[in-house]
Amino acid sequence: MIKTLASRIWKFFKSFQLTIVLLACLMALVVLCTLAQVEMGTQGAVNAYMRSFFVKRQFSFLPFPLPVFPGGGLVGLLLTLNLIAKTLDIQRSWTKAGMWLVHSGLVVLFAGEFVAGMMQVDTNMSIEVGQTVNYVQSYKNMELAVIDTTDPTWDEVYSVPDTLLAKGGSIAIPGTPLTLNVKRYFPNAELSNLPPGAPPSLATAGVGPGVSVVERPAVTNDNEINTGTVFVEPVAGGRSYGTWLASMALGAPQSFTHEGRTYSLSMRLRRQYLPYAFTLKQFRHDVYPGTDIPKNFSSLVQVVNPSQKESREVLIYMNQPLRYEGKTFYQASFGKNDTLSVLSVVENPGWLLPYVSCVLVSLGLLVHFAIVLRRSLKRRQDKKEG
Amino acid sequence: MTFVQKYLAWGAGALALLIALIFALPGGKVRGFDAAGFGNIPILDGGRVKPLDSLARNSLLVIHSRQGFRYEGRTIGPDEWILDVMFRPQVADQQPIFVIDDPDVIGLIGAQQKQNRNYFSFADLSSHLEEIQKQAQTAQPIAPQKRTRFQSAIVNLFDRAYLYYKLRNTLQLAGSPGLGWELQSITDAEASARHQDLMQLAAFRILPPLPGGPPDAWKNVGEGLRAMAAGQGVHPALVPLARLNAAYLANDAASFNQALADMKGVVSTLKPGALSHANNEIVFNRAQPFFVGLSIYFVAFLVLCVSWIYKPELLRPTAYALLFSGAVVHTLGLAARIILQGRPPVTNLYSSAVFVGWGAVILGLIVERMYRKGFGTAVAAAAGFASLIVAQNLGTEGDTMEMMRAVLDSNFWLATHVVTITIGYSGTFLAGAIAIGYAIRKHIVTKVDVETDKALVDMAYGIICFALFFSFVGTVLGGIWADQSWGRFWGWDPKENGALLIVLWNAIILHARWAGYVRERGTMVMAIFGNIITACSWFGVNMLGVGLHSYGFMDQAFYALTGFIISQLVFMAICYAPARFWVQKPHGKA
Repeated sequence: MIKTLASRIWKFFKSFQLTIVLLACLMALVVLCTLAQVEMGTQGAVNAYMRSFFVKRQFSFLPFPLPVFPGGGLVGLLLTLNLIAKTLDIQRSWTKAGMWLVHSGLVVLFAGEFVAGMMQVDTNMSIEVGQTVNYVQSYKNMELAVIDTTDPTWDEVYSVPDTLLAKGGSIAIPGTPLTLNVKRYFPNAELSNLPPGAPPSLATAGVGPGVSVVERPAVTNDNEINTGTVFVEPVAGGRSYGTWLASMALGAPQSFTHEGRTYSLSMRLRRQYLPYAFTLKQFRHDVYPGTDIPKNFSSLVQVVNPSQKESREVLIYMNQPLRYEGKTFYQASFGKNDTLSVLSVVENPGWLLPYVSCVLVSLGLLVHFAIVLRRSLKRRQDKKEG
Repeated sequence: MTFVQKYLAWGAGALALLIALIFALPGGKVRGFDAAGFGNIPILDGGRVKPLDSLARNSLLVIHSRQGFRYEGRTIGPDEWILDVMFRPQVADQQPIFVIDDPDVIGLIGAQQKQNRNYFSFADLSSHLEEIQKQAQTAQPIAPQKRTRFQSAIVNLFDRAYLYYKLRNTLQLAGSPGLGWELQSITDAEASARHQDLMQLAAFRILPPLPGGPPDAWKNVGEGLRAMAAGQGVHPALVPLARLNAAYLANDAASFNQALADMKGVVSTLKPGALSHANNEIVFNRAQPFFVGLSIYFVAFLVLCVSWIYKPELLRPTAYALLFSGAVVHTLGLAARIILQGRPPVTNLYSSAVFVGWGAVILGLIVERMYRKGFGTAVAAAAGFASLIVAQNLGTEGDTMEMMRAVLDSNFWLATHVVTITIGYSGTFLAGAIAIGYAIRKHIVTKVDVETDKALVDMAYGIICFALFFSFVGTVLGGIWADQSWGRFWGWDPKENGALLIVLWNAIILHARWAGYVRERGTMVMAIFGNIITACSWFGVNMLGVGLHSYGFMDQAFYALTGFIISQLVFMAICYAPARFWVQKPHGKA
């Protein structure tokens, strides 16, 4: 009984039908994901279709989204199982060595995409010429930064990610006497001057009382950023410092003082501080003579890493990124009349897997073709002799 | 095949090559104005040095959709046209070269739609230029894929009219007495404003860099005049240019040709090499290898079709010889582009179409050598012809040898990733074309011929394997390039997805066949569907206008693509039609 069940499962996973159905599903997903990018932006569409186990849809009569189609994660997982089963099932003889290599290469390729989907972090670093930057920032995720600015030479930064703000409640800031009570959080909002006669703002301190906040639906498009906005009440030593408004739309940080220490509050894109710093020494934007067609972008960067006692110059340019401490920095954009350079930063622990896969598959195909060629030559020889 | 037949067949091929050679040879001795020689002058435009002839051809293509036109009973070529535009605008303005198809735009300029093609001269447009500009400026901020038909048409007309306007004001301000007068009145009160206009409107730079300056510092006439007014001396090329201008106006061919020789002398002293580079490109322009190639493919296809009903033993090898000559011309054209541009063969959508066709033809030649049934020839000729037609249509948007944007500026990746993936396209299309041939054959050939059917399926199968290999390797190489330049291997970008779809589809076909789910006809139907997938990933994704690869956007081709998809679906239906619809009735269990 158990044996038949096991052999059925085995049969299911090694069947060609499964391969074809899964490949067809993957094609459908790829088409849907491509079309959806027009509306949702690349990242949104990829998260919805590829980096999920089910493609979900919100129906008006149900309170939760319903899975309507297997997502890229599930299809990929099944395809990997199918591949493994199939690879194990391929005759273990030298004549099939090529196919073995090809299919194991594909398994590595899928694994690479899984790792990328689960662990890849995309951030960026914008530096102006002459500026030194020791952090990378997220494209979309935000944080509420609480900065102890008492010491003029050193800022102590504490930050609360937007995901925590969205949960609400009170958040104790470790290392400080502060606790933040989140009064209300808007993932996206529009700010304007509070018109006379309008209901008063939740805020009681800082610039907040003069600002009206209207909630907006969150955006996922690639070139749009949500205006995350929050009302928080810092409490320290049993004393409230009023309710403050912090938002991506407000420029300058606002500060209050508790027991001689000054804390500033501001909403900003989430930052990750690095144990090293980059200084932009020069940015070049070359064009072809007599045109605006870009020929080259490059950033000359001084990398200073005190822990490694390292200080060296690196030229980052198109098709030539810097791989440093597990991160890849590449030239992505520019601004401010060519005085600002934007480096995209990718951290993907599995970045080598596709290279391994590429070698395995190419080798496998070559071996397979060689074997087939030898066989057909031999057949021809036999024919001649026979 | 007898000896005579063989010679006749290869004679036809040699004749085709001879005709191609005649195209490439320069015209006879110059009578009157040496307009062709004028087209030989090197200029800097779009970031590269090219002959004026190339600019004239591409501008006329953009404005008129052709490289020549008939006016007052004569054919006017690009070089003569550009001479008139630049030196005698009063004449060129009367020539009806602006094609306008959109009825609303025709209404806007106060004319009536006469035929299906409507030609207008710049003089016709001139009283409506302000309105055209106003309408175009309202439409320009809208993303190209969201514009209405009228908006696209008006922006297009404005761009063409502006190009013409710039050309007209590049060497002299239109309506002024000419460049010679400009040189004399350099200290005039209004001269500075005129120099400013010339600088801003200049369509190209014709004054070669002076010794001691940066090697790319070509100047336009306005800049040359400004430098002269600032006391930096007369640019040596300005004087012969002014003489060319005066001689052309005075209808004095002898002085014109003398001034031209002097101009070339100045250029070869200032920028040695520019003139010979321009000359090479002129030969390429004149030879029109892709146009000649597609004509030869067309003839080869016709000859092959005839061979099925008449004298097959003579005409089939003739068609093969013609296809071979077409391939030679096509290959030479590709090689010339590679040399002129200093780049691998595929650099933009236009050249990808040229290369896809070339790949399909070469594969077809090989298949024909292996099977000798005429199918390889037929399919290769049809594919080569079709892809060169597509290329001709893609080439009407300007210079097809434009400079590569920064991220693409990598000959290594252009040569590996782009070329392999394009060979993958060629293979998939060729397999699809064979399958279409198979489908049609089932319906028109009465004799049951199991062997030919099997041969066709074998060809398609072999080519699909080939296409899978190249599209997979090409896609992975693309991933590696992306990792090198953008830091990630795979980003589900539309173009990457398109390439992946081709890989997946070819993999599905092969697995379905190995597992025995599809046989002859099933494989063929799937191969035809491969055409749809390939066309969509080649052109369709560019129409979405999203992603990192969307540098090849095109709005006009949407209907063409839809038509192609429908035609392929029809072929699939024809291929899948049950046996009782065939002429070729299977006898019992055939």
